Amino acid sequence: MSERINFNTVVAAFFVTFAVTLFLLIPFHIDKPLIVLVGSQSNLSAELFPQMVAASFLILGIWYFAKSFSIDQRNELRDLDREAITNVGVTLVIMAAYVFLMVNLGFVIGSAVMIAVMSTYFGNRNYYLTAVVSISIPMTLFFLFRRVLLVELPPFPIDIYPLTHWSLI
Amino acid sequence: MYESFVAGIGLALRVDTYLYISVGLFLGMFVGALPGFTTLMAMAILLPVSFFLDPLLGIPFLIGVYKGGIYGGSIPAILVSMPGTGAAVATTFDGPALTKKGKGRKALEMALFASVSGDLTSDIITIAMIGPIAVVALMMGPPELAAVIFLALIVISATSSGVFVKGLLMLAVGLFFAMVGQDPIGALSRFSFGITSIESGIPFLPMLIGVFALPEIFIGIERKASEIIKSADLKISGARLTWAEFKSCFRTICRSTMIGTGIGVMPGVGQVVSAFMGYAAAKNASPHPEKFGKGELEGVAAAEAANNAVNGPTLVPLLTLGIPGDNLTVILIGAFIAQGLRPGPLLMEEQGPLVFAILVSMVVANVLFLFIGYFCIPLFARIVTIRKSFLLPLTLVFAFAGTWVFRGQPFDLAVLVFFGAFGYIAKKLHFDVTPMAMGFILGPILEYSFGQTTVLAQGNMLHYIFVERPITAVIVMGTPVLTYLMWRRSVRLRRELTKGLANENLS
Repeated sequence: MSERINFNTVVAAFFVTFAVTLFLLIPFHIDKPLIVLVGSQSNLSAELFPQMVAASFLILGIWYFAKSFSIDQRNELRDLDREAITNVGVTLVIMAAYVFLMVNLGFVIGSAVMIAVMSTYFGNRNYYLTAVVSISIPMTLFFLFRRVLLVELPPFPIDIYPLTHWSLI
Repeated sequence: MYESFVAGIGLALRVDTYLYISVGLFLGMFVGALPGFTTLMAMAILLPVSFFLDPLLGIPFLIGVYKGGIYGGSIPAILVSMPGTGAAVATTFDGPALTKKGKGRKALEMALFASVSGDLTSDIITIAMIGPIAVVALMMGPPELAAVIFLALIVISATSSGVFVKGLLMLAVGLFFAMVGQDPIGALSRFSFGITSIESGIPFLPMLIGVFALPEIFIGIERKASEIIKSADLKISGARLTWAEFKSCFRTICRSTMIGTGIGVMPGVGQVVSAFMGYAAAKNASPHPEKFGKGELEGVAAAEAANNAVNGPTLVPLLTLGIPGDNLTVILIGAFIAQGLRPGPLLMEEQGPLVFAILVSMVVANVLFLFIGYFCIPLFARIVTIRKSFLLPLTLVFAFAGTWVFRGQPFDLAVLVFFGAFGYIAKKLHFDVTPMAMGFILGPILEYSFGQTTVLAQGNMLHYIFVERPITAVIVMGTPVLTYLMWRRSVRLRRELTKGLANENLS
């Protein structure tokens, strides 16, 4: 049993602060009804449920804070070594870039670039296989979504016949 | 209900339903057979596929993924002692030992037959149970519904892995996220902070994929992928399972099926505990318990029947009360909602035939399960060797594509990444995201039912609940007691599970 401040104590303090912030935000971030029924006995206000949730955060945060000193858990974020942090960081960057590429270059090209970069980063050196996988899988998925499920994915940005004339395929 | 059941059988007679179930089973087994890739992740990334299909295709498809995934985990567990899913951990006690003895094929076939038997029996029990429960559920009004949802949320938080108060806090986080957008009664805008994309609420699909699928990817990439399994280790050798061997395990399969069925109805317990309880019960009942852990077919049968028997009964609280019992059924409730169907008492009344059709298709799915499993075991065994360096980016492609098709908004991709990072950090800090997802999904229904109750109470809530609504009063008063009992039970089960795991590792 550790009687010292630990990550649980810090997270508990965050929740208590969040609860207080939520209480302060409620009057300003919930629209007021245009019509108020005078004489209603229900006491039903749009702020009631959010206030109950904020109160739950406060009570649970205080309980968690008090209990945090006796919780025996390791902060696994601290256990991450340099390799793990780098890999997770690189993946987050790849994800952000993927969002950009997918929106601007289309699903197939964006995905192909992402698969090629990520699989190479994570140790794949068979470039022929990389090329096959990174082009064929997004293509197949694109057609499956479009032709079978009838839903849209970001299309090819360049109007290459017949690629953009999907009705022919 | 009987009429609905008969109509449901008629609806279920569709070839395309079984085609989609087969695809779901295949994909589920595929992902389940990959160590480090969970059934939950498979269901999360395949959830969008179900949105654009007819309900009688999309939901059975996901149920196929669910069933296949739970079984698929046993393949690497038996062959290389690497459970594909948590549910298959108990299978590693005897499976690899049987493989070493040259009985790998027998073990895999026993796992398949036990899984199918457990699943089939529990599905039939589910159909029998669901009618009477639905009739009772139909008698509930807004106060009872609010009380039952509240009870379910608290119990799920209490039984989630980790510390009770942390589970409750995650529930509060889920309720907070559910409040963003519009209030369900007056449709007043709240907590959208001027961001147009969340004015109608945080999109639930990117949230579900984010918290359930992306953290698994982040954990998978902490170490650069390396090939640790040689193809030669995955050769399925030995004679086939005989009828006599299956018959000798029949009692064990029946016992485990009953254990799994009982656990399936209880919220928050799940397949892992069920498999361990089934295994422990089989060991205790065996005349030669010393053989367990050293390559006993009964051990494989016990664990596999128990974990698959959970699949059907978890749908009982989901379909009758609208309460998902675990994280896998949270995904299923997402599929129902996306189809415009709100699981709960009214679903059985309004869409009874559809519900029964889904349940009947689950029963038939077990036959397909048997065939696909039987003929594809060698293929799934090879899947273990697929490189993670390809699997991880491909999973990302599925997750992003699924998120995009939901609303076609780039903002949703940002929501996906945000919740992925949130889920990863939560996991590392020992917070279970299941209560959060439950709070997010059930929050608006709870708020709406609570609002209706407040209006009905006309300013005197205590009098209304305790005098006019005795059932609600019983549920409200029973909530702390039931929560305490469930919490105690889950702590004890987890302790036994850890102890059992340690003992098996030692032996």
